[in-house]
Amino acid sequence: MFKAVLNNPSAEPKDIRWFYDQYAPMLLGYINGIVQDHQQSEDHLVAILTSFVKDVVLQEKSKLNIWLELRQYAQSKLTLFTAKDHQLKPGPSVNKGKLDLLDDSQKRIFCAVYYHGKSIPYLAATMGCDESEIRNQLKLSIDKMRRASGN
Amino acid sequence: MEINKIMESGLMETYVMGIATEEEVQKVLSLKQEYPAFKDALEQLEYDMEVLAQSMSIEPPAGTLAKIEHEINEIQRRNQAVQTAVEPEYRYDKPDQENKQERYIEVESESNQMRINKAWKWVFIAVFVLGKVFLASAIYFYLENRQAQEQIKELKIELKQKIR
Repeated sequence: MFKAVLNNPSAEPKDIRWFYDQYAPMLLGYINGIVQDHQQSEDHLVAILTSFVKDVVLQEKSKLNIWLELRQYAQSKLTLFTAKDHQLKPGPSVNKGKLDLLDDSQKRIFCAVYYHGKSIPYLAATMGCDESEIRNQLKLSIDKMRRASGN
Repeated sequence: MEINKIMESGLMETYVMGIATEEEVQKVLSLKQEYPAFKDALEQLEYDMEVLAQSMSIEPPAGTLAKIEHEINEIQRRNQAVQTAVEPEYRYDKPDQENKQERYIEVESESNQMRINKAWKWVFIAVFVLGKVFLASAIYFYLENRQAQEQIKELKIELKQKIR
């Protein structure tokens, strides 16, 4: 979609609107989960969406699923926040969605991976359990939320 | 079946969460090509992750889209300006324009050079000439002044001698 939009001399507002409508609310929810401040999240949303278009879409580098790519891109731009070790649980301002379905341990693992991009070896070392357990808990938490969505 | 075992191992989840190692990424990509069932399951998981993100979404405030559109259009305008500047060189060097887009070199749109109207050339010449005139005048008046000072000194000496 974006290739078509951005090869035009002036991007068609309709297509940008489509991209925005599709991904901006998801991205804002995601950024807010990391930053945990509404005003800062909104500022980051504008900067990240704009630079994503410039760095990835305009350069035609996108090979993955667009949401997966956008989420990883946002994470890489928010290293100041994701580098924090102490905040691995969703804060009070986060729209928790289906996170409430998870138990504390699953929530902690899921949030650490989803929002902070923590690796499985890191979590295994931090939580004092083996990597296969972390991997298993991550899969279980995703499965639980998927089932709740009817999948 | 082995593929079902792999699909249950949590490899796909690690991949879509963006924390797979390089080795795991390569494995996922090769399994995706090899097994249609794996590909379907992975695409379904990617879709479900989007659905999950939608359930945690927050509506941005009004005016956010306008800001993003403005920024994107600015970037495009800058890129176009760079392309227009590069285009004539290619036309001169190589007449075939078929793969022109692919031959562009990425350049920074921000430059430390400044472009100004040609009319300013005459202003700069006038300023230069006036500068020279002022310099000549300054030297002339300096010499005149020095001469006058010397004359005053001589007159003073003469006056003193007459008084004695």
